[in-house]
Amino acid sequence: MSHELRNDPSLLERQQARMKWQQQKQQSFFNASDHTMQNMFSTSMPLAQTNETFTGLLSGHNGLDIVKPDPGLMEDWAGFGDHLSYGYMNQNSIMPLGADQSFVHGNSVSVSTSVTVSVSPKKRKADKGQSLEVVTEKEKKLKGCAEEGDSKITHQNSNNSDKATGDNKSSNSKGASTNTSSKDKSKVSEVQKPDYIHVRARRGQATDSHSLAERVRREKISERMKYLQDLVPGCNKITGKAGMLDEIINYVQSLQKQVEFLSMKLATVNPELDFNIDNVFAKEMFQPSTSEFQGLGCTSETPNPAYFQLNSLDQVYCGLDMGINSAEMALRRSLTAPMSIPETFMDSSCFNQILPSAMWDGDLQNLCKMEFEQGTLIPIQSHQYTGSNEGSNLKMEM
Amino acid sequence: MSPSINPTDHFKNQFATRFVHALNNINATKSSPHDDHKNMFQRSRRVKIAAYTAMASVSGSERAWSRALLWKIRNRSRNRGLLLRNKKRADHAKVSSKKRNPNPKRQDVNALRYSGQELKLRKIVPGAETMDSRSLMSETADYIKCLVAQVEVMKSLVDLCYTKV
Repeated sequence: MSHELRNDPSLLERQQARMKWQQQKQQSFFNASDHTMQNMFSTSMPLAQTNETFTGLLSGHNGLDIVKPDPGLMEDWAGFGDHLSYGYMNQNSIMPLGADQSFVHGNSVSVSTSVTVSVSPKKRKADKGQSLEVVTEKEKKLKGCAEEGDSKITHQNSNNSDKATGDNKSSNSKGASTNTSSKDKSKVSEVQKPDYIHVRARRGQATDSHSLAERVRREKISERMKYLQDLVPGCNKITGKAGMLDEIINYVQSLQKQVEFLSMKLATVNPELDFNIDNVFAKEMFQPSTSEFQGLGCTSETPNPAYFQLNSLDQVYCGLDMGINSAEMALRRSLTAPMSIPETFMDSSCFNQILPSAMWDGDLQNLCKMEFEQGTLIPIQSHQYTGSNEGSNLKMEM
Repeated sequence: MSPSINPTDHFKNQFATRFVHALNNINATKSSPHDDHKNMFQRSRRVKIAAYTAMASVSGSERAWSRALLWKIRNRSRNRGLLLRNKKRADHAKVSSKKRNPNPKRQDVNALRYSGQELKLRKIVPGAETMDSRSLMSETADYIKCLVAQVEVMKSLVDLCYTKV
């Protein structure tokens, strides 16, 4: 029965080496996905009476439940089963597995699909590698209990398993299981080649889950730092975090000082001149494309300072009608024209209006150019401001 | 004429509208002569605050720095109102808080946790005192972007004013 389950393709893909061991196991259970069954199994599991007790692992989404034989580490599997079955098992029978529990929590989906806990290394996060090692160690132990002389499984360095069992001890605080594990460990140091190990450091504290998490954190920070580096000019040549931070600080400070300076400048300028939103927008919109328009806008507005005072939203619209000189009128009309008037008509009207004023004689081409750009830019502007409360500005700006 | 709008351009436009509105408000309230030096200083400060407020409000509340900035500005204005109302009491409170402020425990914790540069950066970027390093970096990046856009807009405004004059 368990064989059928083990023939689940995903399982095969993930852990082919464990198949051998699985076939030798005769005590596996398969129960239906209903919760009552799961409940029964989980509750019927006492604390390791013999080596041949079974724990039900609920695979929540697949509807596949597999019971794993548990020779030595009944409680551990029970712990896994507990988390997989959404807390069906009574908590007192399970001693806390600090790292393992977190692991199961983090990868509960993958665990549930791959039925056995240790089959889910692919989705493991790097900072939980330690707990996974513990899991694989448990597998080894199980294997050691069942078939000591199994030659199929590859052997790895025993340092790794030593380390893992050491952590297992500390995390499990389970005397019996660790005893058996240490016994087995001496003989069975085989570990299936896991596909999740990107961790170079194998011994010492570098494999500690904390340091792994720290490493991930640092990687993310350095990633952001690289992004920051691109933002800050002249930061590319600097290597080292401290120098980069210095550069960033200097840049931010200089920007803030610039803001201060500019605000002072604006404050000194302000009393004489009010701001015209049209003008600002013209500047903003045309800054990349033309510089002529800016000059044109500025010169066109110098003759009538009275216009500058009409700044608020409704007043500008009025000001549009009561423009004083003809040049101003022409400019305004040319700005508003693309919204309603056909372009040909607009052109003629503009020319008619502009020609009388002597000051625009040289600027006709500029104006035409500007008109053209205005026409092209209208859709952008309207798209940008539809739905916002600046929608009323649209008329005014154009 | 691409349908997609450059986000920085969008930001600049929004910022410009808000900032100009704020400037107009400042101008509307300020009708007194500006030759006074102190008046001038206050005025520039108001302009600066308006610029920062516009920047923060345009950038939106999902950014921690903009939230912190707005909060700071609001609190400052509230404090200033208190100050204006009863200056003496506020001054007294300030002094007493200064006396209490050293608060060595927290300072030490911060100094231990972060290197000197990072601590410095935390002081510069608004609201960064309580961030973790990762979000500090992303927030700083966003803040720098917004600051650059702000400076550009303000520069163009100043240019505009001076060309007008």
